Amino acid sequence: MIRQTLVASLLGVWGFAATAAVTQDTGVPSAARNYWAFKLPVQAPVPDVAVGLDNPIDRFLERTRQTKGLDRAPRAPRLTLLRRAYLDLVGLPPSPAEAAAFLADTSPDAWEKLIDTLLASPHYGERWGRHWLDVARYADSSGFEQDYDRPNAWRYRDYVIRAFNQDKPYDVFLKEQIAGDELDTTTDETFIATGFLRAGPRVAFREKDNPERRYEYLDDLIATTGRGVLGLTVQCARCHNHKFDPIPQRDYYSLVATFFGYVETTHPLVPRAEADAYEKKLRDIEARQAPLKAEVKKIEAPYEAKLRQESYKKFPEGVQRAIAKPEGERTPGEQLLAQQVIEGAAVGRREIDRIMTPDDAARKKAVADRIAALDKEKPKPIPVAEIVTDGDYRFAPDGEGDEVIGCPKCRITDATGTFLHDGPGKYEAPPSYFLIRGDPNAKGSVMKPGFVTAATYGNPPIEIPPADGRTSGRRRALAEWLVSPQNPLTARVIVNRIWHHHFGRGIVATLDNFGKMGDAPTHPELLDYLAVEFMKGGGRGPQRGSRDGVPWSIKRMHRLIMTSEAYRMASAFENAADREKDPQNQYLWRFRAQRLDAEVVRDSILAASGGINLTIGGPPVFPPLPKELMTEANHGIWKTQTDGPDVWRRSVYVYRKRGLAFPMFQVFDLPEQNVASAARYVSTVPTQALTLLNDAFVLRHAQLFAERVKSEAGDDPARQIDLAYRIALTRPPSQTELAIAWDATRTGSLVDFTHVLLNVNEFVYAR
Amino acid sequence: MKTCKTCWSRRDFLFRSGGGISGLALAHLLNQDKLLADEIVNSAACEAKAIGFNPYAPKPTHFKPRATAVISLFMSGGVSHVDTFDPKPALTKYAGQPLDGKVAGDVIVRQGHPGPLMPSPFQFKKYGRSGIEVSDLFPNIGGHVDEIAFVRSVFGQSNDHVQATYEMQTGQVRMGFPSLGSWVTYGLGSENASLPAYVVIQDGRGGPLGGVNDWSSGFIPASYQGTLFRSTGDPIVDLKPPSGTVSEAQQRARLDLLAKLNELDMQQYPGNSDLAARISSYELAYRMQSCAPDALDITKESEATRKLYGLDDKITEPFGRQCLMARRLVEHGVRFVQLFHGGMGNQNTDTWDAHGDVKANHSQHAAESDRPIAGLLTDLKSRGLLESTLIIWHGEFGRMPISQRGVGRDHNPGAMTVWMAGAGIKGGQAIGASDEFGYKAEQQPTSYHDLHATILHLLGIDHKKLTYRFNGRDMRLTDVYGVPIPQIVA
Repeated sequence: MIRQTLVASLLGVWGFAATAAVTQDTGVPSAARNYWAFKLPVQAPVPDVAVGLDNPIDRFLERTRQTKGLDRAPRAPRLTLLRRAYLDLVGLPPSPAEAAAFLADTSPDAWEKLIDTLLASPHYGERWGRHWLDVARYADSSGFEQDYDRPNAWRYRDYVIRAFNQDKPYDVFLKEQIAGDELDTTTDETFIATGFLRAGPRVAFREKDNPERRYEYLDDLIATTGRGVLGLTVQCARCHNHKFDPIPQRDYYSLVATFFGYVETTHPLVPRAEADAYEKKLRDIEARQAPLKAEVKKIEAPYEAKLRQESYKKFPEGVQRAIAKPEGERTPGEQLLAQQVIEGAAVGRREIDRIMTPDDAARKKAVADRIAALDKEKPKPIPVAEIVTDGDYRFAPDGEGDEVIGCPKCRITDATGTFLHDGPGKYEAPPSYFLIRGDPNAKGSVMKPGFVTAATYGNPPIEIPPADGRTSGRRRALAEWLVSPQNPLTARVIVNRIWHHHFGRGIVATLDNFGKMGDAPTHPELLDYLAVEFMKGGGRGPQRGSRDGVPWSIKRMHRLIMTSEAYRMASAFENAADREKDPQNQYLWRFRAQRLDAEVVRDSILAASGGINLTIGGPPVFPPLPKELMTEANHGIWKTQTDGPDVWRRSVYVYRKRGLAFPMFQVFDLPEQNVASAARYVSTVPTQALTLLNDAFVLRHAQLFAERVKSEAGDDPARQIDLAYRIALTRPPSQTELAIAWDATRTGSLVDFTHVLLNVNEFVYAR
Repeated sequence: MKTCKTCWSRRDFLFRSGGGISGLALAHLLNQDKLLADEIVNSAACEAKAIGFNPYAPKPTHFKPRATAVISLFMSGGVSHVDTFDPKPALTKYAGQPLDGKVAGDVIVRQGHPGPLMPSPFQFKKYGRSGIEVSDLFPNIGGHVDEIAFVRSVFGQSNDHVQATYEMQTGQVRMGFPSLGSWVTYGLGSENASLPAYVVIQDGRGGPLGGVNDWSSGFIPASYQGTLFRSTGDPIVDLKPPSGTVSEAQQRARLDLLAKLNELDMQQYPGNSDLAARISSYELAYRMQSCAPDALDITKESEATRKLYGLDDKITEPFGRQCLMARRLVEHGVRFVQLFHGGMGNQNTDTWDAHGDVKANHSQHAAESDRPIAGLLTDLKSRGLLESTLIIWHGEFGRMPISQRGVGRDHNPGAMTVWMAGAGIKGGQAIGASDEFGYKAEQQPTSYHDLHATILHLLGIDHKKLTYRFNGRDMRLTDVYGVPIPQIVA
């Protein structure tokens, strides 16, 4: 009702709904492509700026600086660059030994070699995979009331880390995540990748009884793909045409149709024969247990009936009277009461056992023992991945949290079908409709799958069904459209994200919105140059390296960016004229110092203390939480582990619980975990100071840091201070700093000083 | 001015604030160093005003506010309006009959099947000059009806606890949206830089359903999220080092060393506001260590005051303590205090979620909260604070007029009663009405968006102008909805 009124009042506002030039078919005006983001990127000639800058990035940037009259900063000192590259690429500060080795390398390509080394580090994927996990709204729990554990979610997290480490081409990476079950060649890896689609929050009540929830989940898929991959707020077109961008509501429901067949299921991570054998064995044992379980029920039945009758006695007299009456004699109200009470009566097994005669108890125990013995014969559960494939959600098996709620008669009983397609013939997706004003009860016409019209060139297929006919091939078609060179957005959006993480601000500052309400690119030609370079993998490679010529290579993009002078500029550079002309440093006249991400703050503390456990991958860890927070964790799980090396893993491995953000991450601006993340916000609030000053974890590592320094530097205070600086800040102290620190350790203790080093501004910044 | 919208530096933030709703004076930017220095000099005062780049800096309102602070009393689990503030004689008249057929559409319940209509097990009585009826669950609140506006026609979207709680707190049934308190602190800033602007005190039996997302800042900066205070012991996690680790003198020495090293470092980055703000944040943190416990120190209260809140009775003591802390926090300039009564230890007995037995459940929870809430109203009034403080009382939804197994009541998002007091509200009135049975809001149906618009209005904020750019839109607490309740103010 409210929506109707609103829609009516907004009709006049929808620019393109009211304009004449609406194409009959698509609802998209022909002029829609006159916007930069919908035009295909084209490489402009690299400017000739004649200042001895080779890297094309520098030439584009320098031309803009010249236009704006900006002077650029000189190169940063080598140790600053070393620390910058480490924190940026692997999210850990360099060790003193690594710093010494870098300083000792005086070869002209020492910097290039350093980048290659860091890109080859297995810790690179932990850092850059985390950036993608922000986009994928990844967490280890389901969110909402129950906040169920997702015991296999980490397999997707590890897939992402591996993909970055292997430099999986971004087009392949996207295809696996969106249609890993529909590719020409599917592997465990591609199935695990579909975890992307189900990484968002879910209520977990089943969708067949609660259709509005299914539309919420579809919206999550569309919003995540839209904002995360395309940089478009497609989800704004759910109830009406997009108000600012040329995205008609039809496009939204074409995308709904594209995803509509999806179901969530598990995929065994063992060979098919082994999985089948496991299932068979399990079913065999369950079949042998079934008659035994029936026997137990039979023994319990008279006791259960007795207890059930007794349980009615706690209800008011009117209720008891209603139950006592034969069904035909009850008034309509009594019928409701009787039904509620009888169906709702639950008798606990423990109570039954309590009143059983010794004979029956012994008989029951004998049978129960045989059931238990069979339980022991059950095979060890096989590892599974939580995946997405096509099926029919209306036949989903009951799972954790599924219960008929609200409207029992809404439950579908008349349709016939199966959850997963098991032949014969080809899979057909359930019909998907246009929803008027987004209302699941106001169905319009049946929709064909499709994409964002304004960003579609040519006539790409809307279904690419696999040979085996198990799925519709709609997601596959979507994935192919996304990574087509004819898609104007995908490459621009990812190179812009990469740029953002290197420079602290994207060429388009709104990472997830390239539409009209986003920011315009500061360097449009550079953005297009990089996007095309990224897609073709051709042209002039920045440096030597095995990834030259590889299309969609993210590592190659890192190399291209990091070997620019722009990346190597100093951040400690003041120029009053520059500041006046470009106070926000949009045009990169100096490097932008960046506050470390929450995870990097914690990892840096662990690295400084030497306590860090660099094990890669596997199930998440549960560092201790303050006990006052545990009262909030009473849904879902938090399996607190003892504080120690087992939990001193890198932060990417800390359990992500939607109902309870890890406090240290939250205080340092953990982004919203439920939607694809834009850029992280950086705040400076006193609670951050309190955490670094008082938290038991920080104090313990300050202590370990001091012990490490003592054992490595010996008893000489000057050497201790020197080493502590090199560990925490990647540089020796100045004379003044040395004097101040020496004074402090003399009147206080070494740990006073190591603790302070974990708090100084320099420690939490990449400069 | 077009600036970076999603990755603000503090400077961006200030610029945007300057051009946007806050109107934070740009002079602060120009004088930042001096101001920050001034503030550090003034660091002894617990009443320090927020200045400079502090995201909590006070901001001007759109029009003259009626209140400057909010205390939200969230009755977790869902209070039955037909057993508290919305008497329904029809429930007695039609007792035992199905509701189906008497109302339009299918009767939908959260658990199992609907039961028949059930009269309230409680008696209603007229109170005050206005003669508003309140059930015998709340005799003390009943004594305040002439100060209270009851909105009997509130309705929500979801009959699920968490989604309904999110809707009440953020306007949306989904996760990921900023809470009311976050919007309020974003819109108004804070009067006190030594305490968080938005404080949450939850029930000792556990947090509410929905957890931290109930006071999350969603997509607006994390600085505006609620800070969880405990009602016993140190109020904030990490406020003090664990006992036996770092002494006060040691900590002061460390802070002095930190300041010296940071000042040296600043010489390389003159005029860098982020670094200056970070230095300043340590002094604020240091002050907070003594100011926060002081603000919550209810041992400073007189015996009479403690009694007023029911601290002399172990049934009323826990929530009385929360209410008394709320008053102290408001006195200290905290902008928004969110209290939760009822927490999820055992959902059936520890919250208002009366599926099992509405008489037993509501008798217990009303007994725990009636005196403390009445005490809060009395105390605020006698201190002259009620005029400038908005008190809002609500759950996440109402309950069904039909029974669950003859004794309980299921969730009902179709109708509930919410009341407000203080803030120049015209008391002694019942606004809107639910239908004959209390099943659906009927006269002047009031959505959660309308409630939010009303609350912002009372704080001097136009809910249509309080926006934050996200997802390509100027997002609002009230989305594209919301109308302030017209008759709520005198």
